[in-house]
Amino acid sequence: MSVEFSEKALEQLRELLGHYPDRQAAVIPALHLAQEEFGYITQEVEDYVAKLLEIPATDVHQVFTFYTMFRDRPVGKYHIKVCESVACHIMGSTNVLDYLRKKLGIDVGQTTPDGRFTLTTVECLGACEMAPMMQVNDDFYGPLDEKKLDEILESLE
Amino acid sequence: MPTLKIDGKEVWVEPGTNVLEAAKKLGIEIPHYCYHPALKVAGSCRMCLVEIEGMPKLQISCHTKAADGMVVWTNTEKVRKARQAVLEFLLVDHPLDCPVCDQAGECYLQIYYMEHGLYKSRLRENKIKKEKAKPIGKHIILDQERCILCSRCVRFTREVTKTFELGIFNRGNRSVVDLYPGISELQNRYQGNLADICPVGALTDRNFRFQTRVWYLQQAKSICPGCSRGCNIEVDYNISREYKAGGRRIPRIRPRHNPKVNGYWMCDDGRYGYKYVDALDRILLPRRLDEGEPVELSWPAAYTMAADLLSEATKEGADKVGVLLSAKMTNEELFAARKLFSSLGVSRIGFRVEPKEPGYEDDLLIKADKNPNTKGAELLELGLGAGKSDVSALLDAAEAGEVDTVVIFNEDLSKSSEAERAEAVLPKLGRVIYVGTNWNATAAKADLVLPMATFVEQEGTFTNFEGRVQRFWKAVEPLGESRTGLSILAGLATALGLEPVSENAEEVFAELAEQVPAFFRGSATRNLVSTGNWLRARLGRR
Amino acid sequence: MPQVKVLTEFFDVPDSHKIDVWEKHGGYQAIRKVLKSMTPDEVIEEVKRSKLRGLGGAGFPTGVKWGFVPKDSEKPKYLVVNADEGEPGTFKDRHVIMNIPHSLLEGMMIASYAIGAHVAYIYIRGEYVHPARRLEEAIAEAKAKGYLGKGIFGTDYDLEVYIHRGAGAYICGEETALLNSLEGKKGWPRLKPPFPATVGAFQSPTVVNNVETLSYVPHIIARGADWFASLSEGTERCGGTRIFSVSGHVKRPGVYEAPLHTTLREIVYDFAGGIRGDKKLKAVIPGGSSCPVLKADEIDVRMCFDDLAKAGTMAGSGGVIVMDEDTCMFDTLRNIIHFYAHESCGQCTPCRQGTGWLVRIFDRIAEGRGMPGDVDNILEIAQNIMGRTICPLGDAAAMPVISFVTKFREEFEYHVREGRCDLEDRKQRVAMAS
Repeated sequence: MSVEFSEKALEQLRELLGHYPDRQAAVIPALHLAQEEFGYITQEVEDYVAKLLEIPATDVHQVFTFYTMFRDRPVGKYHIKVCESVACHIMGSTNVLDYLRKKLGIDVGQTTPDGRFTLTTVECLGACEMAPMMQVNDDFYGPLDEKKLDEILESLE
Repeated sequence: MPTLKIDGKEVWVEPGTNVLEAAKKLGIEIPHYCYHPALKVAGSCRMCLVEIEGMPKLQISCHTKAADGMVVWTNTEKVRKARQAVLEFLLVDHPLDCPVCDQAGECYLQIYYMEHGLYKSRLRENKIKKEKAKPIGKHIILDQERCILCSRCVRFTREVTKTFELGIFNRGNRSVVDLYPGISELQNRYQGNLADICPVGALTDRNFRFQTRVWYLQQAKSICPGCSRGCNIEVDYNISREYKAGGRRIPRIRPRHNPKVNGYWMCDDGRYGYKYVDALDRILLPRRLDEGEPVELSWPAAYTMAADLLSEATKEGADKVGVLLSAKMTNEELFAARKLFSSLGVSRIGFRVEPKEPGYEDDLLIKADKNPNTKGAELLELGLGAGKSDVSALLDAAEAGEVDTVVIFNEDLSKSSEAERAEAVLPKLGRVIYVGTNWNATAAKADLVLPMATFVEQEGTFTNFEGRVQRFWKAVEPLGESRTGLSILAGLATALGLEPVSENAEEVFAELAEQVPAFFRGSATRNLVSTGNWLRARLGRR
Repeated sequence: MPQVKVLTEFFDVPDSHKIDVWEKHGGYQAIRKVLKSMTPDEVIEEVKRSKLRGLGGAGFPTGVKWGFVPKDSEKPKYLVVNADEGEPGTFKDRHVIMNIPHSLLEGMMIASYAIGAHVAYIYIRGEYVHPARRLEEAIAEAKAKGYLGKGIFGTDYDLEVYIHRGAGAYICGEETALLNSLEGKKGWPRLKPPFPATVGAFQSPTVVNNVETLSYVPHIIARGADWFASLSEGTERCGGTRIFSVSGHVKRPGVYEAPLHTTLREIVYDFAGGIRGDKKLKAVIPGGSSCPVLKADEIDVRMCFDDLAKAGTMAGSGGVIVMDEDTCMFDTLRNIIHFYAHESCGQCTPCRQGTGWLVRIFDRIAEGRGMPGDVDNILEIAQNIMGRTICPLGDAAAMPVISFVTKFREEFEYHVREGRCDLEDRKQRVAMAS
C-alpha cells in the first residue's frame, strides 16, 4: 500500500505551509490532515509526511508519539473520550466510565465489535463546568449521568 | 574576561564559558549526565545544579554563563541534597543490572552514587519495564531500562553525524530512546561513540560486551592507524586477566580528546579495525621457504639470511634491489629504513601502494587514504617518482629485468591495484623478503618473512594528513617473536656490518629531526605536545 | 459583591461572535484608534498602566512583556496566542473564544501593532475543535472586511493571523513548549534564557499571551487604562477583572467575571450559589489544579495575585475547584498527580521521575498497601521536584501534593494505615452529578 494525500489534502497542506517560515512547523497540521485522510497514522504515513515536509522521519515520529490525539490504530465511528481529570473526577467521572464500560461491553482503549464506539479516557478538556463530561468525536457532552448517557448513546446509534 | 569565584577560588574564563567548564578549569568536577562539551546544551538531567549567590534557586551550571563577579558554590548542603535527589530519581527506574552490566566501573550512576548518593533506598514500588538488549546497530546494543534519557546519543546523531536515526519517543516516564521504527539499524559510521558518550549502561558496545570488566583494563595513549586523520585514541589493554575477552589483549579502543584532530570522536572503521593485533594470523616467528616448504627460523638465523640475500643482491648492483616501505610505518621506522637501505646504495625506496578501490571519505573524520603516515613518508622524501604508485614502478622495473630483489614492509600487494601483476611478477624474482605483522598472500610467497610488531606493541610517531606529528605509546609487548620495525632494522644493520641503528624510537626521532629539514631541528619526541601543534606550525613556515 | 463584566457582558448578546454584532457594540474601534493616533510605545505604556496581567497562569504584567521585544531586531516578530487551555479546572478561554472571538482578534491586532508583528498565531489545543472553527470564521469575517491581511483598516500595516491546532499535550500551555510545538517539535519546554521576547518562535522575538488577556486589550484602549486599573480596588499591582472558571461541588458551575478584590468566598457562595445539597465546604483550589489548596476557613482571601500568594497559594489561571465535605483528599490528590505524571513531557529528571514515582506510591496506598513513612516520603519527593525543573510543570505537580498532604495530613495517614478512606464509613462515593 502506498499512502498519498488526496488532491484536496495536498491543497490544504500547501496552504498550511504558507503559514510558517519553515516546513517543519507544518508537522502537527500535516499529521492532523493525515489522520483525517487515513483514519490513523502508520509508519508509512510518517514516512510520507516526512518526505512531504523534507524532514527526518524520526522527527515526525517524535511528534506523533508525544501528542495524545494522534493514534496508530483505527477508532470506531464514535470516539468517546471520557474526561478523568480532577474537576470531573470529583463529580463522578469514574461512574461515567464504569457505566459506559458496562453499557458498551468494552474496556478503555477498545472498540465495539460493530465498529461503532471506541472508548478512551482523556485529561482535562477545558469544560469543567459540564463535569463530569466527555467528548464524542468533536462534541462535548455534560454534565453526565446514566440517563443522559443513555440519551446521548441513543442519539448516536 | 569574566573572573568569577567558585568554591572560594578565583578563575577567569573566556566570555561565553559556562560555569561547569569554568569549574573544570579549577579542577572542580561538577557532576553531570546530559552535558557534553561537544554537544548542544540540553540542561535536562538537573545533576549539575549549583548555588550562585544572588539567585534564590539552584542553577544548572551547564546552562549558566560565567559572569564577572559571580560567586558559585558547588558543594554546599543545598547542592548536595539536590544532587542526591536527582540521583534518587534516576535510580527509581534504573534496573539493578550492575552485576551484568558492562558499564559497571565507569558508570556515572555508580560513580556519583558513591560520591554523592549513599542513601538508603526507599523505593517500594515496581520499576518500569522497557525494552532490553536490543541491537540497534552493527556495533551497539540498547537497553531502555538503563537509559536515563540524557539525550546525548540523540544529539550525537542529530548534531555530529546528522543521520537522525535516534529519537526520544513518547513522553513522561514512558519516554524511550529508540531508533526510528522505519529503520532497522544505525546508519552512521560513528556508532561506537554512542557507547562512549552514554554515561550509563544504556548503550553498550557489542565488541566489548561481556569481554572484561573495565577495572582490569590499563590505558595507553595511541594514534589510530586506520587512516591519515590520525585520531587520538586510548588503547584499553588487559594483561592482568589473560583469560578475559577470549584472550584478546586489547578488548577495545576509544577516542582520546584532541580538539585539533578528532575532537571527542573516532570512526567505527578505526575503532574496530585493530583486531589484526591479536588475530590468529599474526606472524609469530621468522620463516623462510625451502623449495616451497616453510621452515621456521631463529632471529639470528633470520638476520644472517636477510643479510646474505641483501649482500648477494647488492653485489650484483644496488640498482637491482627495490624496497617497498609502508605508510603504515612510523616516522622513525621509515627514517631508519631509508638510512639503512641508502647506505647499501639502494635508491629504489618507495612506499606508495594504491588500493584496489578508492577509500571511503567523509567530511567528518574519515579520510580516503587508509594509511596513518603517508605525509611522514612524503616529508622523508621517499618514493620512486610522482604520478604512479611505487608498487607499479617497482613492478615495471622488475618486469624490465632491472630489479630482481625486493624487500616489502607490511603491504599485501594482493590487496593493491596491482594485485594481478604482483602475483605474476613476484615469484619470478630472485629474492623476496617480507617484513610484516600478519600472514597474507604476499607474505606467503616470500623467501624470507620477518615478524613485525603492530602499533600497539611499540611507540613512535605518525604524521597525519595535515602534517601534524603525533606520538603514540606502547600498550603491550610484541606478540610471539615479533619485533618492532626499529628492532628489525637494527638487527639487519648489525648483520650487514653497517652503522648501528637505534632501537629506541625517541633517539631515532631526535636524529630524524636533526637530519630531515622538514622536521623541526633538534626536536625530540618527548617534547611533542599531544596535538603535535608546534611542529605543524614550524612545518608550515618552511 | 456583584460581578463586573467587561468581557462577559457580551456573552449574553445573541450572535456576539459575529463581526457585525461585535461592531454594533463598539468592536474594532480601539484598533482604529491605535492605528490612527497611537505609536507602539504609547500602546505599550497604556497597557502597562492598566495593570493587566497574564491570565494564563503566570500573572506577568502584559505591557512589560511587550516592552521586552527588542525594537532594533532585524528579525520578524511574532505574536502567539496561547489558547492551549488545559489546566484542570479552567475553561474561561473556551467561553471567550466561542462568545467574543473578535475581542481576541482585535486584542491581537493591537498587540501585534505594539510589538511590530506582522504574523500572529493562535495556538489552540487540538481538542477545541468547535472553538477553532469559530476562530476560523471570525478570521474570515475580519479578512473580508479588510481588518486582516495586507494594509489593515486602510493603513499600510499588514497582519496575518493563523490558527495552529495542538494535538493533545497539557505541557504546550507552557509558553516555550508551545513555541516548540508551533515549530513542529515535541512540546519540550526550552531552557531560559533566552526568553521568547528575544528568541521565541522561529528564532525570532515573540510575545506569547493568553486568550483572555488579549481580549481585554481593546477595552483598555477604548475606555482607558485608568478605568481598567481602577476596576480592582485596593490591589496595588492588579487591575481590571478576570474570568473565574468555577467547577466542582457548587450549585452553579460556570464562568464568572469579577474584579480581583473579590474574595474566594464571594465567588463560591455568591456567584456559584454555594455548595450543592447545602453541604459543608471542605476545600477550594483557587487557580487551577496546580495551585496549593485552601481549606474551608481560608477562603476569605481576595483573588488578586499578591493576596493569594500571601495566603500561600496562587491566582493561576483562575480555575476555582470546589470540594465539599464528602471529598476524599487522598483520592483527589491521587487523581491530580496522575494528571501531572501523564502530562510530564519527560525531558527533565525530577519531574519525569518524581511524578512517575509519586503515582506508583499513591496507587500502592490506594490498593491498601501503604507503608510507614509513605506520607513523609511523598512530601519529600514533592519537595525534591520543586524548583529543580526546566519549566513550571514540576512545581505544578509538587505544589498540590505539598499543600494537600500538609493540610489534610491525617486523611493521608489514615489511608496509609488503614488502606481505605475515613470517609468510607460515611458516604464516600460521590453519586453521579446529582
